[in-house]
This record gives sequence, structure tokens and C-alpha cells, in this order.
Amino acid sequence: MSFPEVIEQSNQVLQALVDAGERVIGYVYPHPPHEILIAHGLKPSLVRTNPSVVGAYEASLQTFSCSLTRNLFSQRVSSSFPLLAGIVFSGNTCDALQNVGDIWRKRFPEDRVLRLTYPVGDFGEASVDFLSMEIEALSNELTGLYGVAFSESNFRTAALLLHEIRDVLQLFYTVRLLYPSLISYNTLSNLVGEFLTAPTQEASERMKGKWEEVVEKLDTNQKNTVEQLRESLLNQDLSDFEAEIDSANHRIAVIGGMVEPSTLAGLMENIPGITHTTLVLDMLSFGFKTVFTPPVSIEGDPFRESARSILGAHSEPTQEGLPKRTAFLKDVLTKLSIHGLIVCEQSFCDPDEFEAPSLEKAAEEVGVATVKLPLDSELSDRARIEGRIQTFLETINAS
Amino acid sequence: MTEKPFGIGLDVGSTTTKGVIIDSDGSILATHLQSTGASAASAVAHVLGNLLSTSEKTRDECRIIGTGYGRNIVDMAHKTVTEITCHSVGVNTLNPDIRLLIDVGGQDSKVIRIGSNGRPEDFELNDKCSAGTGRFLEVMARVLEVSMDELGPLGLKSNSPCSISSTCTVFAESEVIGRIGSGDSPADIAAGVHQSMASKIGSLSKRVGVATPIGVTGGVALNPAFRHYLSDILKAELWVPKIPQLTGALGAAIIALQDAEV
Amino acid sequence: MSDEKPYRKLETQALLQQIAFRHGMEAMAASEEGNLAWVSSGFPVEIPVAMNVFPTYPEQSGAIIGATKIGPEVCGFAEDLGYSQELCSYARASIGSTDRPDDVAMGALPKPQAFLGCNNICGTILKWYDANSEQTGAPVFLLDTPPLEAEQKPHHRAYVKQGLERLIEFLGKTFNTTLEEDKFREVADLSSRAIKLWTQSLKACQNKPSPLNCADRFLTMAPVVSSRGMEHCTEFYEVLLAEVEDRVKQSIGAIREEKIRLLWDNIPPWFILRFFNQLAARGVVFPADTYTHAWSGAVEGTDTDSLLDGVVDIYSNVYLNKNLDAKVDKMCQLIKDFDLDGFVMFSVRSCKRYSLGQLVSKEIVTEKTGVPGVVIEGDMVDSRLFNEAQIQTRVDALLEMFV
Repeated sequence: MSFPEVIEQSNQVLQALVDAGERVIGYVYPHPPHEILIAHGLKPSLVRTNPSVVGAYEASLQTFSCSLTRNLFSQRVSSSFPLLAGIVFSGNTCDALQNVGDIWRKRFPEDRVLRLTYPVGDFGEASVDFLSMEIEALSNELTGLYGVAFSESNFRTAALLLHEIRDVLQLFYTVRLLYPSLISYNTLSNLVGEFLTAPTQEASERMKGKWEEVVEKLDTNQKNTVEQLRESLLNQDLSDFEAEIDSANHRIAVIGGMVEPSTLAGLMENIPGITHTTLVLDMLSFGFKTVFTPPVSIEGDPFRESARSILGAHSEPTQEGLPKRTAFLKDVLTKLSIHGLIVCEQSFCDPDEFEAPSLEKAAEEVGVATVKLPLDSELSDRARIEGRIQTFLETINAS
Repeated sequence: MTEKPFGIGLDVGSTTTKGVIIDSDGSILATHLQSTGASAASAVAHVLGNLLSTSEKTRDECRIIGTGYGRNIVDMAHKTVTEITCHSVGVNTLNPDIRLLIDVGGQDSKVIRIGSNGRPEDFELNDKCSAGTGRFLEVMARVLEVSMDELGPLGLKSNSPCSISSTCTVFAESEVIGRIGSGDSPADIAAGVHQSMASKIGSLSKRVGVATPIGVTGGVALNPAFRHYLSDILKAELWVPKIPQLTGALGAAIIALQDAEV
Repeated sequence: MSDEKPYRKLETQALLQQIAFRHGMEAMAASEEGNLAWVSSGFPVEIPVAMNVFPTYPEQSGAIIGATKIGPEVCGFAEDLGYSQELCSYARASIGSTDRPDDVAMGALPKPQAFLGCNNICGTILKWYDANSEQTGAPVFLLDTPPLEAEQKPHHRAYVKQGLERLIEFLGKTFNTTLEEDKFREVADLSSRAIKLWTQSLKACQNKPSPLNCADRFLTMAPVVSSRGMEHCTEFYEVLLAEVEDRVKQSIGAIREEKIRLLWDNIPPWFILRFFNQLAARGVVFPADTYTHAWSGAVEGTDTDSLLDGVVDIYSNVYLNKNLDAKVDKMCQLIKDFDLDGFVMFSVRSCKRYSLGQLVSKEIVTEKTGVPGVVIEGDMVDSRLFNEAQIQTRVDALLEMFV
């Protein structure tokens, strides 16, 4: 599926939800408190960039605002988010999103712009305390805005649903790493895309159905290996993981920030040298990191548990923990036999662009080749991006 | 002997389309180079026709590799390979010692570290912005009202290049206009333009790691002022093939035959 | 001779050079003794100073690298390492000069034992210090002060305060030191005296003619950034205030002929401070700017606990840590208090936190105050991103509105 198709499909899903009387709330940062939003009768949906949008941000944003915010703003100026009942911006994640949230409120006072401020510090319980209070404040605001109070039972159902969805997507990610011929990256990215569009019961059923097909092809040993790796990835600790990995074919991983797996899948599709087993892993914010988030416990305070789950996910470049992230990357590259790493750098994205040299250095230290991919939401430089990837594969093949 | 004894490389750049045909010994039978113009497809057809008629070969006898920015429109190609690999292989054939290759074309500039096997080990490309490409020089030549051929020699006439600090082409254009307005000599301005361009490429080179000897290819390699300042910045002699624009096409032709032998 | 210049140089500037020199020497000694920390400009430096950890400021080093016009070259060193040219030029200058200190004539800082960053000025600071940390091996401490939507809430206070407790623990462990209440009180007192003196000098610019212009304040703010909490810093601001008050008493302006009074928004372009002097020749003075007014609160308290509460309050509430409304209000207030005719917003490509929002706030400020403004785009250190001709035209157009 090409990215424009992803957007079209996503809009269809959202339209169907709206037609059925549901309220859809958009989010921009990849770690929203899904379960809490659902507990207020809302359907959380990623606000996607649109590659075909015409630039219309100039009266409000400078060109050095990141390409993600420019794209979203342009879409809004051309009034193309009719299906959303509100948007949750993130605070304290990066300067662009912080300020653009404010600008949005000024320019579109009729929009319901909410903000959830995240802790940057990796301070254990202190961070959980802070985020849980922020989530609770958001919850109160939602009650006021939509007149639907937090429902404990909806919350429990949501926690279960999200647990199931993430669980099965984690299995797909793991199978893709271990036995890439069993599930294509395209399929994986489409399923992740469905989760981002709206984590619904129907989407969950489809994912489980697909899993039935895949699991049939695994023997008991393989199933155990899959489960072991899934646990290790979720716990961000590969030290105990040992397995033979078939690395006869080249295995490429992608890492980076605000780009979706389906964008990458679409980009890779037509590049000579890419086979269906080449791209074995993405470590993207909107893919891997959203999926590998620990489940929300239904015991205890919902806001605290939601905060704990969000902060238990793989950390973003906007957070503390660079040394941890590079160490984990090295483990992934070596233990999972990755031959090449593509580092995405979103145009004018400070976190991406600051992190990229460290990621490249880490890969270099374990002898893995890297290439940087300068991207923007419009993929306006597509020919050159494809050239970079193709050359990168040629480089790896020659070595 | 392979089924297809001749290799053709077609390198479709933003400014010019280049073609080379070789035989199985690697000897060049014919070359052709022409402006890409508005229709890359017809330029490709024209270059291919020219190669075949000059060398008196038929298309069936040849394995064709498309490369360059427009490689995907070479629909008669058996395969496409990026210009980075092709330039490496091409230069390696002409001068196997070269370890760093700098290729500056119309809208792309690349720095490639070549391994001992002749294949690229690491590379860097310019970003989307046209700073550090042939386009930058074209714009500056226009502002200075000289032809592209005159720009380099003009720049060499100066001993005190103006400092052109903007790397952005649009900014640099107005900076140059400002320089003209404040009475700086065209030679000093032209020298400054080349120095700025060379510094941008120098910076790209440092990202890959400067290794010697260094080769320079692409249309801009013909510009003596650019070579002068680049050599100055990299503190190294530069090697330039006789027809630097053809290196990518030559590499493609060689890969066409290597692949066929596999 | 100097009478011919359109602006008047401050006597105090000589003292400033001495202080800068002294700070540099002390930083070098501290580095050798294992007591040096690199600190962000909005960091509660009273705490490390009270714990005998010597602070030095990469942002100031960036300003020096910019002012000595080697910005593009030093930023280029960082670009050679793979850092994008789109990133903050303070950060690039810092990463570049850390990589190649011997190639930086002035502005490279001695090697630190720790990096102390507070994200009340931007989110970039963490990424920047993380990069520095990879280069030097010294650890980073981040004081997280999430941006404020409106009033600071109790859980925000509690979170920041826990951060301060961690800071004390971190410094104790890293530098083998403790925080003594007496010393803390003494440092906080010195710091708040320096800040109050500085604030008085800033306020004196409400007079006509204004005793200080933009460039004067950008230079004389250095000690309050780098040395607040130290004795000599407080002394410097006593001398400065005396000169400023003297100017006011005698009606001596920072520029010879004050005709137009403007507000400056954002960090200045360090490599072309003559920009302000050229405008001075046309009778334009900048009695106020958001950069030097960014924080003015003084830390007060009677014991460690109440002092820490003061720190939590002051350092969370700095200008750049507030929302767009607060920034607009501040600008309107300055325009009113300093009786300004218009404003210039410098849109700094390096600094998203400061600059994104200017296109909108420009409209609102004009609407609320009735004075015109202009946005010019460029950078504070990287002169490659600064187009003088383009900026000149825009500023000229603004000035023509006052004729």
C-alpha cells in the first residue's frame, strides 16, 4: 500500500467511526494515553502528515519549523481535518511541537487543542508522579469539553484491547526479525498503520486473524524463540537472548523519529536490490516504539498506571537516555545480525538531527554500515532518497 | 564469452546525458554526450542510437545499465545502478589508486570513498539545497554576466577572493549582487564564489574522511578555479580524467559486463 | 574623536573585559582541579556555586565565537562530524570547538567534569549536552522544568524540586562536595543583589534618552549570566548602575541623537553587532529587549528548603518557559513601560523555542499596542544564514513608517 493509500484508508476508517457517532481525537506525539482517551468515549487517532499537501503555513510558521509541523499546519490551513473532534499536542517533547501548539490555538481558536506535557527526565517515580498528574488534568479537561466523564469500565476494556493489539504487533515485529519470510514488512506496516488510525476491536480481530496464519508456520522451538525475543525487546534488554539467525541475505534496520512504517514501506518498494526479506526491523517512534510499550495495569490508579506504561516504552530522542539508547541499538545490531542501518533524519527536526550522529557512531563501533536519510513529510526529494538507499545496498553488497 | 559481448552505460544527469559502449576487453568503442533537455527519454534514445551506430553494434548484442538521476526512465536497461557505484567503478578502471572521489554534477554533488575492490565504501551526497552543485555556479555566472566556460578562468585571475559566506544559492545570489553593487571586481567575486563552493564540498568530504589520492569527476571538474580552491581546502593534488563527465557511464558499461559474467 | 561616533561607549566596558578574563582563568584552573561544570544560561547556578563547583557557559562561548566571526568555520567542525547545518549554531559551535579546541582562537572552553543543563530555555539543551558528553566522557545532569501553560501547579513544583534534590546529590557524588546552608544563603544573597542591580540598570532605560542601547546590554549581561552568586559580579553591577544613573542624571543617551525607540526580540546576531550602531547613526535606539529581560527574579529564602522553593519558582518562570500569551504580554508591557515606537523581531533559525510564534505574536503585539514591527530572519552565530541586504530593506521599511 502506498502512503497516499494509507491516508485514504485511514480517512475511510475515521469517516465510518464518525458516521457511527464516535468522536475521534487526534494526537501528534506517538505516546498518547490511549486507554484514558478511550475511557472518555474518544477514539484516538494519529494526525498524519499528507505528502500531497500544498504548503500553506507561511503566514504562521517560519521555514525552519520542522517538516512535520509545517505539513500538519498546511493541512489545517486548507481545512483538512474535518473528522477530528480535537487534537492533543505534546508539551516538553521538542521546541517545535511546544510552540506550534500555541500558534495553532491562536490561529484556529475554534479547534479544541489540548496539551499533554511529558517529563523529559528519566527520574523513575518522580516522572511517573508528574505525568500521572498531567494525564489526570487532561482527563478533567476532556470531561469538561465533551461532557463525557472518565469511565472505569471503558478504561478496563481499553486497557485489555490495547494490550491485545500491542501484544500481537510485538509478535509480528519479532517474527519479522527472526523469520522474515513469514510476514512481509508491508503487511506489518499496514497493521501498525491500523493501530495508529484507530485501535478498534475490529482492527484487533484482523491482527489476531493474521497471527493465526503466521503462527501455524512456526514449530514449538520457534514459538519459544519468538516469545523470548519479544520479552527481551519489550524489556529493552537483549543480554539473555541467544538464537541462530539466518543472515544469508542482507538484513537492514531503520531507525529515526517522526516517520511512519508505511511511509518507509512505500519508499522501499521500488528500489532495486530490496527483496521481501531485506528490511527486517524499524525502530521508529511511530512504529516500534509505540508498539513496544508495556501494558497498562488495571490494578491501581488509572492515571498512574497509564503514565507508567507510557514511560516504560522505548525512550524517544526528546528524552534523557542517549547512552541507553545507543547501547540497546548496538545489542540489536549485533545480536540480531543486522548488516546495515538506515538513519532517518526529518528535516529541521532537532531531536532526529542531534541523535543521528550518535546512532551512526554506535553502529560504526559494532561494524555495521549506516546511511543517513534526510526526509521531509512530502518526500519532496524522493529521487535522491531512493538513490541513497539503492547506493547503500550496493555498498553493502560489495563489501 | 557471454551472450551479450558488449556493455553500454547510460548516465542520465539533470544537465547532460552520457553514454559509453565497451567491448569485453573493456576498450571503449564509442562515447556520446548531449544535453538532457526537457525530455530525458528522448535524450536517452538519442544517445543510445548514436552509440550503436558509431560502434556498428545492435542492441541485442549489448547489456545495458542505466544510471544517474534519471536512471529509472532508461526503460531498455537490463538493470539500474546508482551513479555512486558507477562513478567508483569507472574511476577505478581509469586510475585504480584513487581512494576518494568527488563528483560534482548539475544538481548533485557526491563524495565517495572507494575501497580496494573499486566499489564504494562510504559516501555522502549534498542535501536538497543546490548549494555545492553545478547549479550554484550557473546562477552565479548569470549574475556576473559571464558564460559557464568563462567563470572558472575569471575566478583564477584574482588573488584576493571576496568572502561569500552564504551557502544557500538564493542568499548567495543576493550577496553577490551586493558585492557587485559595492564595487568589488568580477574576478574577486568569481574567486569567492568558487571558494565558497569548494568549502561546501570540502565539508562533505570531511564527513566521509579525506583519503588520498583524490579524483574529481562530473562537469564541474572541468572548472579550473573550482579545482584550485578545492585542492587548497583538501590540501591535496587532484586527479581529473580526460573527459570527467563520462566516468559514470563508463562505470555502468563495465558493471554491465561484470554482471553478465556472473 | 569619540564624539563623532553616533553612540557612546560605556566606561564600565573596561571592567567587563577584566571580569571576562578573570572568569576564563578561573575556569581553566577549575578544570584542572576537577571542579568545572558547563552550565546552560537558565540553570540555577546558585546551587553549584554554593557547592564550590565553578560554572562556565557554552552559550557565551558561542557568542564569542560569533562575535569573532569564526562562527561558520567552527560550526563547520560540527557539521564535519555529521551534525546538520539546520541545528542550533550555539550547539554546533560548542560541539565544533570541543572537537577542535586548538583551531578556535577564542571561545573554546576548558574541559568540564560535568554538564548541567536546564530545559527552561529550550529542549535543545539536552541534545546538545548529550553530544558534548559523548565527546568528553563527562556526565550530563538535566534539570527538567516542563514549560508552563499558565500558573505553575503544585505537582510541577514538586517535580522540579525533586530535580533540585537530585542535582544536589549528583554534584555531591560527582564533585565530592556538600551543600551547606550558610554558604547557599550567602550565594543566593549575592546572586539576588546582582540581579536586582542589573534589573535597576535595565529599568533606567525607561528614561529618555535611554542610557543603554541593545549592544550595551548584550555585553554587560555577561557577568549576571556567568558569575551571579560571586562577589565580583555584584561589584560589577554596582559600578554599571552608577554609570547608568549618572547618564540619566545628566540626560546622556546611549546614542547621540535619540529619535526612535524600538524593542528588540530574540538573541542578537553576535557577528554583526554594528547593526545596532548603524541604526544608532539614524537615531534608532533599543531601550529594551526580551533577551536581557528574560529573567529578573531573585532567589530568596531563609533556609535551604525555602531557598530551593525560590529556585523552583524563579527558574520555572523564565520568559522562554512560558506560553505565547505570556511572551506577548511581556512584549506589550515592555513597549508600554519603555514608551517604544515599534519593535524588531529577529527570527533566529537556530532557536525554535524563541522564534517559532513570532509571525503570530507580531500581529498580536501590534494589535494590542498599536505600534508597528518587523520580522527579520537570520542567525546569532552562523553568518552564512544572515542576508544583510534583505534585512536592511525590511528595517528601512519599518523606519519609514515613523517619518
